[in-house]
Amino acid sequence: MDIKTKLKQVLIEELNLEDITIEEIGDDEALFGEGLGLDSLDAVELVVVVQKHFGVEIKDMEEGRPALQSINSLAAFIEEKQK
Amino acid sequence: MNKPSENKKSGNGKRWSSRSVGSNWQHQIFYCLIRFGGRRAAYLLLYFVVAYYVLFSGLARKRASYYLRRRFPNSRGISRLWHCYRLILELGKALIDRAVVGILGPESLDIFLGEPEKLLKLRDENRGMIMMTAHVGCWQAAMSALGYLNRPVHLLMRREDGDIDRHYFEHAGLECPYQIIDPTGYLGGTLEIVAALKKGEIVSVMGDRLLGSEKSTTAVDLLGGQVELPFSAYKIASVTGAPIVVLFNFKDGSASYHLQVVKIIRVPELRGRSADTFNPYAAEFSASLDRFCQEHPYQFFNFFDMWLKQQTENKDT
Repeated sequence: MDIKTKLKQVLIEELNLEDITIEEIGDDEALFGEGLGLDSLDAVELVVVVQKHFGVEIKDMEEGRPALQSINSLAAFIEEKQK
Repeated sequence: MNKPSENKKSGNGKRWSSRSVGSNWQHQIFYCLIRFGGRRAAYLLLYFVVAYYVLFSGLARKRASYYLRRRFPNSRGISRLWHCYRLILELGKALIDRAVVGILGPESLDIFLGEPEKLLKLRDENRGMIMMTAHVGCWQAAMSALGYLNRPVHLLMRREDGDIDRHYFEHAGLECPYQIIDPTGYLGGTLEIVAALKKGEIVSVMGDRLLGSEKSTTAVDLLGGQVELPFSAYKIASVTGAPIVVLFNFKDGSASYHLQVVKIIRVPELRGRSADTFNPYAAEFSASLDRFCQEHPYQFFNFFDMWLKQQTENKDT
Protein backbone atom coordinates (compact mmCIF):
# COMPACT_ATOMS: atom_id res chain seq x y z
CA MET A 1 0.00 0.00 0.00
CA ASP A 2 1.44 3.39 -0.93
CA ILE A 3 1.64 6.26 1.55
CA LYS A 4 -1.32 8.16 0.11
CA THR A 5 -3.64 5.18 0.34
CA LYS A 6 -2.43 4.35 3.82
CA LEU A 7 -2.92 7.99 4.84
CA LYS A 8 -6.49 7.94 3.60
CA GLN A 9 -7.21 4.69 5.38
CA VAL A 10 -5.73 6.00 8.61
CA LEU A 11 -7.70 9.23 8.31
CA ILE A 12 -10.96 7.37 7.89
CA GLU A 13 -10.27 5.00 10.78
CA GLU A 14 -8.67 7.34 13.29
CA LEU A 15 -10.80 10.40 12.64
CA ASN A 16 -13.99 8.37 12.41
CA LEU A 17 -14.88 9.73 8.99
CA GLU A 18 -18.11 7.89 8.50
CA ASP A 19 -19.58 7.35 5.04
CA ILE A 20 -16.34 8.22 3.25
CA THR A 21 -14.29 5.72 1.31
CA ILE A 22 -10.65 5.84 0.29
CA GLU A 23 -11.67 6.41 -3.32
CA GLU A 24 -13.72 9.47 -2.40
CA ILE A 25 -10.78 11.38 -0.94
CA GLY A 26 -8.96 13.28 -3.66
CA ASP A 27 -5.19 13.55 -3.50
CA ASP A 28 -5.35 17.32 -3.96
CA GLU A 29 -8.51 17.89 -1.98
CA ALA A 30 -8.13 20.38 0.86
CA LEU A 31 -8.11 18.57 4.18
CA PHE A 32 -9.56 21.48 6.17
CA GLY A 33 -12.53 23.72 5.57
CA GLU A 34 -13.95 23.22 2.13
CA GLY A 35 -12.97 19.84 0.79
CA LEU A 36 -12.73 17.02 3.29
CA GLY A 37 -14.14 19.33 5.96
CA LEU A 38 -11.74 18.59 8.80
CA ASP A 39 -11.43 21.20 11.53
CA SER A 40 -8.97 22.35 14.17
CA LEU A 41 -9.66 19.41 16.47
CA ASP A 42 -9.09 16.96 13.66
CA ALA A 43 -5.75 18.70 13.10
CA VAL A 44 -4.73 17.83 16.65
CA GLU A 45 -5.62 14.21 16.04
CA LEU A 46 -3.90 14.24 12.68
CA VAL A 47 -0.60 15.38 14.15
CA VAL A 48 -0.67 12.44 16.54
CA VAL A 49 -1.87 9.97 13.93
CA VAL A 50 0.96 10.87 11.56
CA GLN A 51 3.47 10.30 14.34
CA LYS A 52 1.86 7.05 15.42
CA HIS A 53 1.50 5.44 12.00
CA PHE A 54 4.41 6.94 10.10
CA GLY A 55 6.88 7.80 12.84
CA VAL A 56 7.02 11.39 11.65
CA GLU A 57 6.66 14.35 13.95
CA ILE A 58 5.04 17.60 12.88
CA LYS A 59 6.92 19.88 15.21
CA ASP A 60 5.41 23.30 14.66
CA MET A 61 3.31 25.57 12.50
CA GLU A 62 6.09 26.16 9.97
CA GLU A 63 6.12 22.46 9.21
CA GLY A 64 2.47 21.80 9.81
CA ARG A 65 0.83 24.45 7.73
CA PRO A 66 2.20 23.44 4.31
CA ALA A 67 2.12 19.75 5.15
CA LEU A 68 -1.51 19.65 6.18
CA GLN A 69 -2.95 21.12 3.01
CA SER A 70 -3.86 17.88 1.22
CA ILE A 71 -3.09 14.17 1.00
CA ASN A 72 -0.46 14.97 -1.62
CA SER A 73 1.33 17.53 0.58
CA LEU A 74 1.13 15.37 3.67
CA ALA A 75 2.42 12.30 1.84
CA ALA A 76 5.31 14.35 0.40
CA PHE A 77 6.12 15.64 3.89
CA ILE A 78 6.14 12.11 5.34
CA GLU A 79 8.31 10.78 2.53
CA GLU A 80 10.76 13.62 2.97
CA LYS A 81 11.01 13.04 6.73
CA GLN A 82 11.37 9.29 6.36
CA LYS A 83 14.41 9.62 4.09
CA MET B 1 -10.72 41.88 32.16
CA ASN B 2 -12.79 40.33 29.49
CA LYS B 3 -10.04 39.05 27.26
CA PRO B 4 -9.44 36.89 25.37
CA SER B 5 -12.84 36.80 23.89
CA GLU B 6 -14.85 35.49 21.06
CA ASN B 7 -17.60 37.65 19.70
CA LYS B 8 -20.81 36.11 20.81
CA LYS B 9 -24.43 36.86 20.35
CA SER B 10 -25.99 38.16 23.48
CA GLY B 11 -29.50 37.35 24.53
CA ASN B 12 -31.03 40.08 22.39
CA GLY B 13 -29.24 38.86 19.30
CA LYS B 14 -26.75 41.73 19.06
CA ARG B 15 -23.05 41.02 18.87
CA TRP B 16 -21.44 41.13 22.27
CA SER B 17 -18.01 42.66 22.57
CA SER B 18 -15.46 42.43 25.35
CA ARG B 19 -14.07 45.88 24.64
CA SER B 20 -13.93 48.31 27.50
CA VAL B 21 -16.90 50.62 27.96
CA GLY B 22 -14.60 53.49 28.91
CA SER B 23 -12.86 55.78 26.46
CA ASN B 24 -9.13 56.25 26.21
CA TRP B 25 -9.03 59.53 28.16
CA GLN B 26 -11.08 57.98 30.96
CA HIS B 27 -8.52 55.19 31.22
CA GLN B 28 -5.73 57.74 31.24
CA ILE B 29 -7.23 59.48 34.27
CA PHE B 30 -7.03 56.23 36.21
CA TYR B 31 -3.47 55.60 35.05
CA CYS B 32 -2.46 59.13 36.18
CA LEU B 33 -4.10 58.61 39.56
CA ILE B 34 -2.19 55.34 40.02
CA ARG B 35 1.05 57.01 39.04
CA PHE B 36 0.69 60.00 41.36
CA GLY B 37 -1.67 58.78 44.08
CA GLY B 38 -1.30 55.04 44.09
CA ARG B 39 -3.91 52.34 44.08
CA ARG B 40 -6.15 53.91 46.73
CA ALA B 41 -6.55 57.13 44.77
CA ALA B 42 -7.67 55.16 41.73
CA TYR B 43 -10.04 53.09 43.87
CA LEU B 44 -11.56 56.27 45.29
CA LEU B 45 -12.52 57.53 41.87
CA LEU B 46 -13.67 54.06 40.92
CA TYR B 47 -16.37 54.01 43.63
CA PHE B 48 -18.04 57.03 42.03
CA VAL B 49 -17.56 55.92 38.44
CA VAL B 50 -19.09 52.52 39.15
CA ALA B 51 -21.99 54.13 41.02
CA TYR B 52 -22.64 56.31 38.00
CA TYR B 53 -22.62 53.36 35.60
CA VAL B 54 -24.82 51.22 37.82
CA LEU B 55 -27.38 53.99 38.30
CA PHE B 56 -27.45 55.43 34.81
CA SER B 57 -26.27 52.74 32.39
CA GLY B 58 -28.95 50.22 31.57
CA LEU B 59 -26.40 48.38 29.45
CA ALA B 60 -24.04 47.90 32.40
CA ARG B 61 -26.89 46.59 34.55
CA LYS B 62 -28.07 44.31 31.78
CA ARG B 63 -24.63 42.83 31.17
CA ALA B 64 -24.17 42.17 34.87
CA SER B 65 -27.65 40.73 35.22
CA TYR B 66 -26.94 37.62 33.15
CA TYR B 67 -24.69 36.30 35.88
CA LEU B 68 -26.34 37.95 38.87
CA ARG B 69 -29.78 36.51 38.22
CA ARG B 70 -28.17 33.05 38.32
CA ARG B 71 -25.98 33.68 41.31
CA PHE B 72 -28.58 35.64 43.27
CA PRO B 73 -31.87 34.33 41.87
CA ASN B 74 -33.98 35.78 44.65
CA SER B 75 -32.61 39.30 44.59
CA ARG B 76 -34.67 42.09 43.07
CA GLY B 77 -34.74 45.86 43.04
CA ILE B 78 -32.30 47.58 45.40
CA SER B 79 -30.74 44.27 46.39
CA ARG B 80 -29.98 43.41 42.74
CA LEU B 81 -28.63 46.91 42.21
CA TRP B 82 -26.28 46.45 45.18
CA HIS B 83 -25.00 43.13 43.80
CA CYS B 84 -24.49 44.83 40.45
CA TYR B 85 -22.49 47.59 42.12
CA ARG B 86 -20.33 45.11 44.02
CA LEU B 87 -19.64 43.02 40.91
CA ILE B 88 -18.69 45.94 38.66
CA LEU B 89 -16.66 47.50 41.46
CA GLU B 90 -14.62 44.31 41.83
CA LEU B 91 -14.09 44.19 38.07
CA GLY B 92 -12.86 47.78 38.20
CA LYS B 93 -10.50 46.95 41.05
CA ALA B 94 -9.10 44.01 39.10
CA LEU B 95 -8.45 46.28 36.13
CA ILE B 96 -6.80 48.86 38.35
CA ASP B 97 -4.68 46.18 40.05
CA ARG B 98 -3.53 44.98 36.66
CA ALA B 99 -2.47 48.50 35.77
CA VAL B 100 -0.85 48.94 39.20
CA VAL B 101 1.41 45.94 38.57
CA GLY B 102 2.57 47.48 35.31
CA ILE B 103 2.90 51.07 36.50
CA LEU B 104 4.21 50.62 40.03
CA GLY B 105 5.88 47.25 39.61
CA PRO B 106 5.03 43.65 40.51
CA GLU B 107 6.04 44.19 44.16
CA SER B 108 2.98 46.40 44.58
CA LEU B 109 0.74 43.35 44.50
CA ASP B 110 1.07 40.22 46.63
CA ILE B 111 0.11 37.03 44.87
CA PHE B 112 -0.09 33.96 47.03
CA LEU B 113 0.04 30.61 45.28
CA GLY B 114 -1.21 27.69 47.32
CA GLU B 115 0.66 24.37 47.02
CA PRO B 116 3.30 25.50 44.51
CA GLU B 117 5.03 22.10 44.69
CA LYS B 118 1.98 20.53 43.04
CA LEU B 119 2.69 22.45 39.85
CA LEU B 120 6.39 21.60 40.02
CA LYS B 121 5.55 17.90 40.06
CA LEU B 122 3.28 18.30 37.05
CA ARG B 123 5.94 20.29 35.23
CA ASP B 124 8.44 17.51 35.80
CA GLU B 125 6.20 15.01 34.03
CA ASN B 126 7.33 16.81 30.84
CA ARG B 127 3.99 16.49 29.13
CA GLY B 128 3.35 20.21 29.20
CA MET B 129 0.53 21.75 31.18
CA ILE B 130 -2.75 23.23 30.17
CA MET B 131 -3.54 25.95 32.67
CA MET B 132 -7.26 26.30 32.48
CA THR B 133 -8.60 29.39 34.09
CA ALA B 134 -11.70 31.53 33.71
CA HIS B 135 -12.62 35.18 33.71
CA VAL B 136 -12.18 35.43 37.44
CA GLY B 137 -10.11 37.68 39.66
CA CYS B 138 -7.15 39.30 37.93
CA TRP B 139 -5.91 36.40 35.88
CA GLN B 140 -3.15 38.28 34.06
CA ALA B 141 -1.54 39.42 37.29
CA ALA B 142 -1.98 35.93 38.68
CA MET B 143 -0.23 34.40 35.70
CA SER B 144 2.79 36.50 36.52
CA ALA B 145 3.22 34.33 39.63
CA LEU B 146 4.07 31.29 37.52
CA GLY B 147 7.60 32.39 36.71
CA TYR B 148 9.02 29.94 39.25
CA LEU B 149 8.02 27.08 36.94
CA ASN B 150 10.73 28.26 34.58
CA ARG B 151 8.85 27.25 31.47
CA PRO B 152 7.60 29.40 28.59
CA VAL B 153 3.95 30.31 28.97
CA HIS B 154 1.65 30.56 25.97
CA LEU B 155 -1.61 32.42 26.24
CA LEU B 156 -4.48 31.65 23.95
CA MET B 157 -5.96 35.07 23.53
CA ARG B 158 -7.09 37.63 21.04
CA ARG B 159 -7.31 41.36 21.46
CA GLU B 160 -10.29 42.89 19.80
CA ASP B 161 -9.80 45.64 17.26
CA GLY B 162 -9.95 49.02 18.95
CA ASP B 163 -9.56 47.62 22.46
CA ILE B 164 -7.84 50.23 24.60
CA ASP B 165 -7.34 48.20 27.78
CA ARG B 166 -3.65 47.78 28.48
CA HIS B 167 -1.98 44.69 29.84
CA TYR B 168 0.27 45.12 32.85
CA PHE B 169 3.46 44.63 30.83
CA GLU B 170 2.36 47.34 28.38
CA HIS B 171 2.15 49.85 31.24
CA ALA B 172 5.71 48.96 32.16
CA GLY B 173 6.88 49.23 28.57
CA LEU B 174 8.03 45.63 28.64
CA GLU B 175 7.94 42.94 26.02
CA CYS B 176 5.02 40.60 26.43
CA PRO B 177 6.26 37.87 28.79
CA TYR B 178 3.96 35.36 27.17
CA GLN B 179 3.80 33.91 23.73
CA ILE B 180 0.39 34.72 22.37
CA ILE B 181 -1.52 32.13 20.36
CA ASP B 182 -4.33 33.62 18.33
CA PRO B 183 -7.45 31.42 18.48
CA THR B 184 -8.62 32.94 15.21
CA GLY B 185 -5.38 31.96 13.48
CA TYR B 186 -4.69 28.91 11.33
CA LEU B 187 -6.65 25.93 12.66
CA GLY B 188 -7.54 27.88 15.77
CA GLY B 189 -3.97 27.80 17.02
CA THR B 190 -4.28 24.11 17.84
CA LEU B 191 -1.04 23.14 16.11
CA GLU B 192 0.86 25.75 18.13
CA ILE B 193 -0.74 24.49 21.33
CA VAL B 194 0.22 20.89 20.60
CA ALA B 195 3.76 21.93 19.65
CA ALA B 196 4.16 23.87 22.92
CA LEU B 197 2.87 21.00 25.04
CA LYS B 198 5.16 18.55 23.29
CA LYS B 199 8.06 20.70 24.44
CA GLY B 200 6.82 20.54 28.03
CA GLU B 201 5.65 24.16 28.02
CA ILE B 202 2.61 25.79 29.56
CA VAL B 203 -0.47 26.80 27.64
CA SER B 204 -3.06 28.94 29.35
CA VAL B 205 -6.63 28.77 28.10
CA MET B 206 -9.97 30.05 29.28
CA GLY B 207 -12.36 27.24 30.06
CA ASP B 208 -15.40 29.48 30.22
CA ARG B 209 -15.35 30.83 26.68
CA LEU B 210 -15.07 29.43 23.24
CA LEU B 211 -11.77 28.27 21.77
CA GLY B 212 -11.53 27.00 18.25
CA SER B 213 -14.49 26.15 16.10
CA GLU B 214 -17.96 26.85 17.39
CA LYS B 215 -19.16 23.29 17.10
CA SER B 216 -16.61 22.19 19.70
CA THR B 217 -18.87 22.92 22.63
CA THR B 218 -20.70 20.81 25.12
CA ALA B 219 -23.58 21.63 27.43
CA VAL B 220 -22.89 21.54 31.17
CA ASP B 221 -24.57 22.89 34.29
CA LEU B 222 -23.47 26.16 35.80
CA LEU B 223 -25.34 27.99 38.55
CA GLY B 224 -28.54 26.12 37.95
CA GLY B 225 -28.67 26.49 34.18
CA GLN B 226 -27.01 24.99 31.15
CA VAL B 227 -24.12 26.69 29.40
CA GLU B 228 -22.10 25.73 26.36
CA LEU B 229 -18.43 25.37 27.20
CA PRO B 230 -15.60 24.60 24.79
CA PHE B 231 -14.14 21.11 24.87
CA SER B 232 -11.15 21.57 22.55
CA ALA B 233 -8.72 21.76 25.47
CA TYR B 234 -9.88 18.37 26.76
CA LYS B 235 -9.37 16.86 23.33
CA ILE B 236 -5.86 18.32 23.18
CA ALA B 237 -5.15 16.96 26.66
CA SER B 238 -6.37 13.56 25.56
CA VAL B 239 -4.11 13.55 22.53
CA THR B 240 -0.98 14.94 24.20
CA GLY B 241 -1.35 13.48 27.69
CA ALA B 242 -0.92 16.95 29.20
CA PRO B 243 -2.66 17.46 32.53
CA ILE B 244 -5.23 20.21 32.80
CA VAL B 245 -4.66 22.40 35.83
CA VAL B 246 -7.76 24.34 36.81
CA LEU B 247 -6.37 27.53 38.25
CA PHE B 248 -8.54 30.26 39.74
CA ASN B 249 -7.57 33.44 41.55
CA PHE B 250 -9.46 35.88 43.70
CA LYS B 251 -8.78 39.14 45.46
CA ASP B 252 -8.27 38.40 49.13
CA GLY B 253 -6.99 41.75 50.35
CA SER B 254 -6.59 45.35 49.26
CA ALA B 255 -3.33 44.53 47.48
CA SER B 256 -3.29 40.76 47.29
CA TYR B 257 -4.60 37.88 45.26
CA HIS B 258 -4.84 34.23 46.10
CA LEU B 259 -4.02 31.82 43.29
CA GLN B 260 -5.48 28.37 43.78
CA VAL B 261 -4.99 25.05 41.98
CA VAL B 262 -8.61 24.00 42.20
CA LYS B 263 -8.46 20.75 40.31
CA ILE B 264 -6.25 18.65 38.11
CA ILE B 265 -8.12 17.02 35.27
CA ARG B 266 -6.53 14.02 33.57
CA VAL B 267 -8.08 13.12 30.27
CA PRO B 268 -7.24 9.60 29.08
CA GLU B 269 -6.63 8.79 25.43
CA LEU B 270 -10.09 8.89 23.94
CA ARG B 271 -11.10 8.16 20.41
CA GLY B 272 -13.42 10.45 18.54
CA ARG B 273 -14.29 14.04 19.00
CA SER B 274 -17.93 14.09 19.95
CA ALA B 275 -19.15 16.51 22.58
CA ASP B 276 -20.44 13.61 24.67
CA THR B 277 -16.96 12.12 24.89
CA PHE B 278 -15.53 15.18 26.56
CA ASN B 279 -18.61 16.34 28.44
CA PRO B 280 -17.59 14.76 31.79
CA TYR B 281 -14.36 16.76 31.81
CA ALA B 282 -16.08 20.03 30.92
CA ALA B 283 -18.55 19.22 33.70
CA GLU B 284 -15.67 18.86 36.16
CA PHE B 285 -14.50 22.32 35.18
CA SER B 286 -17.96 23.88 35.42
CA ALA B 287 -18.50 22.29 38.84
CA SER B 288 -15.26 23.91 39.99
CA LEU B 289 -16.36 27.24 38.55
CA ASP B 290 -19.75 26.88 40.20
CA ARG B 291 -18.11 26.36 43.60
CA PHE B 292 -15.84 29.33 42.97
CA CYS B 293 -18.83 31.56 42.21
CA GLN B 294 -20.55 30.41 45.39
CA GLU B 295 -17.46 31.21 47.45
CA HIS B 296 -16.45 34.40 45.63
CA PRO B 297 -19.64 35.82 44.12
CA TYR B 298 -18.10 39.11 42.99
CA GLN B 299 -15.01 37.68 41.30
CA PHE B 300 -16.56 36.21 38.15
CA PHE B 301 -16.45 38.58 35.21
CA ASN B 302 -18.33 37.21 32.25
CA PHE B 303 -20.68 39.94 31.14
CA PHE B 304 -22.64 38.14 28.46
CA ASP B 305 -25.46 35.65 28.47
CA MET B 306 -23.79 32.29 28.84
CA TRP B 307 -27.18 30.76 29.53
CA LEU B 308 -28.56 31.21 26.06
CA LYS B 309 -30.89 28.25 26.22
CA GLN B 310 -32.72 29.74 29.14
CA GLN B 311 -33.03 33.24 27.76
CA THR B 312 -36.83 33.10 27.77
CA GLU B 313 -36.74 32.67 31.56
CA ASN B 314 -36.09 35.38 34.12
CA LYS B 315 -36.13 38.30 31.74
CA ASP B 316 -35.76 40.81 34.55
CA THR B 317 -32.68 42.93 34.52
